[in-house]
Amino acid sequence: MDDRRFWQRIGDVVMVVVGLVWLAPLVFALLMSVRPPEEPVSNGNIFVGSTITTENYEAALKVAPWPLHLLNSVIFAAGVLIVQLFTVTFAGYAFARLTFPGRNLLLLLVLLQIMIPVGVLLVQNFATIRSLKLFDTQLALMIPYWGSAFGVLLLRQTFREVPYELEEAARIDGASWRQVMWNVYIPLSIPAYVSFAIVSISSHWNEFLWPFIVTRSEEVRPLTVGLNKLFSSSEIGANYGQLMAGTIIAIAPLFVLFLIFQRRFIESFATSGMK
Amino acid sequence: MTASTSSSLSWQERLWRFAFPYLLIAPTMIFVVLFTLYPAVKTIQDSFYEPARKASEPAVYVGLQNYVDLFNPTHYLGSRFTRVLVNTLVFSFGTVAFSVPLALLMAILLNRKMRGIGFWRFSVFYPALLPMIGAASLWAFLYSNQIGLINTVLRGFGLPDVNWLGDPNTILASVIFVNVWKQSGYFMLFYLAGLQNIPRDLYEAADLDGANLWQQFRFLTLPLLRRSTLFVLIIALTFAFQTVEQLQALNQGNPADRGNLMLYFIYQNIQERRNWGYVNAMTVILVGILLIFTVSNLIISERREANE
Repeated sequence: MDDRRFWQRIGDVVMVVVGLVWLAPLVFALLMSVRPPEEPVSNGNIFVGSTITTENYEAALKVAPWPLHLLNSVIFAAGVLIVQLFTVTFAGYAFARLTFPGRNLLLLLVLLQIMIPVGVLLVQNFATIRSLKLFDTQLALMIPYWGSAFGVLLLRQTFREVPYELEEAARIDGASWRQVMWNVYIPLSIPAYVSFAIVSISSHWNEFLWPFIVTRSEEVRPLTVGLNKLFSSSEIGANYGQLMAGTIIAIAPLFVLFLIFQRRFIESFATSGMK
Repeated sequence: MTASTSSSLSWQERLWRFAFPYLLIAPTMIFVVLFTLYPAVKTIQDSFYEPARKASEPAVYVGLQNYVDLFNPTHYLGSRFTRVLVNTLVFSFGTVAFSVPLALLMAILLNRKMRGIGFWRFSVFYPALLPMIGAASLWAFLYSNQIGLINTVLRGFGLPDVNWLGDPNTILASVIFVNVWKQSGYFMLFYLAGLQNIPRDLYEAADLDGANLWQQFRFLTLPLLRRSTLFVLIIALTFAFQTVEQLQALNQGNPADRGNLMLYFIYQNIQERRNWGYVNAMTVILVGILLIFTVSNLIISERREANE
């Protein structure tokens, strides 16, 4: 089938072109970050400057306390996830396996969180954080995300697929609800938990506007806000090498994780909406 | 458990059974109420009030005046709001118009046998992993005037420089492109999952019937991907409506609001007390449009499925 082979070739070419265009920003950011700061792209070799230097990275490291921001990002993402694991497991089980008056209405209310994302209600949520006296604390970043409609839906679906006979058998053996969860439902739902964890971590790791609004001091601000500081402190047209170095510092941790667990990441992102 | 055993339970045990589901849902409900339901209702309520000059005085009920002002071209915020609203719609539909077909194309290309397929999948997916602010700062460099990559390439072809982020005619398109670049690879995943669910023998049967590649795409692939398309459309629109962080690095809505978007505009006006009524009214409009998109998308899909 020559027609098919011809289109296969065209497909390869289109993929390579799209792929290279998509990679270009990252590649040029890397090149720019190791280029001597006084050598703009328009001078000399477009790809690399006269030498490769770490000057930009050293300068970027001085602008913001990156280790502190990194730690804050870890605390933020982990603090959200740990509480979420409890809340979504409880609610996921209730919506999957229990019948009670008002179940559908309550589920609908939870689902509203998907349609009206927390970040859109900036003004009121900011006011709530202030009246809870949480402004400029780690808790202010995390607390709005402690209930997760996405997680509840995902676990509800997953728990429903667990054969009910397994729960019954455990009950007959005298297992408590906690033991049933721990020995039956949770072990059988590990892939769903992993997916949820990956989606939760990467979305909070990358969050900017909310942390930017509810914090003021560097002691609690995550990486994305540190990056913003670098951006606003570098004068327009100057210091792009330094900005690129800072950007790479900020995006590197999640990237390394992705490269290690590429498959899991892609599968998890793909389940973040299906069903 | 049978009815006879449950009726022999003590009242404490029956109360516990009744309360148990609600106790399980309560932790989730507390946060959903506190940070979604309550603020949603409070936003609507506050959008009818004008804040007093001093924090100690109560706000004044003004009915729909905040909304009227927002569409009044001589008002200090109204003169800007219409522009920002139109920008947001152009931005959202522009992003969807380019990123959704592109995502489908990527998925079809990646659903074939090809050397280095993992690498190419990475090449289009990695932007989804970046924080929006990081992605935008990469692009701020590519777009920049003197040393930016794009202008350097243009100059290489003997073309004039374009001030991508400074020119009112190119700023919005530049912001849209960053969004398309950032999200197409993510949407691609849903199409890829959809494609992998289509049984191979359908194509073999179509081959036997003499259907060419275009006909197979048009009458087999596209209809079978309808659910994926619907899902991608919904998340693409809702994402576009709330992704504004890139503006922080891409000229902050300037020049003259030509590159500004609603949620960013709301953030810009959050500090000043006198704007609070307007900021709430704008949020109501934003959420209203968001809900219209989601709900109408769902209704359309239900209808289509009912007709089949």
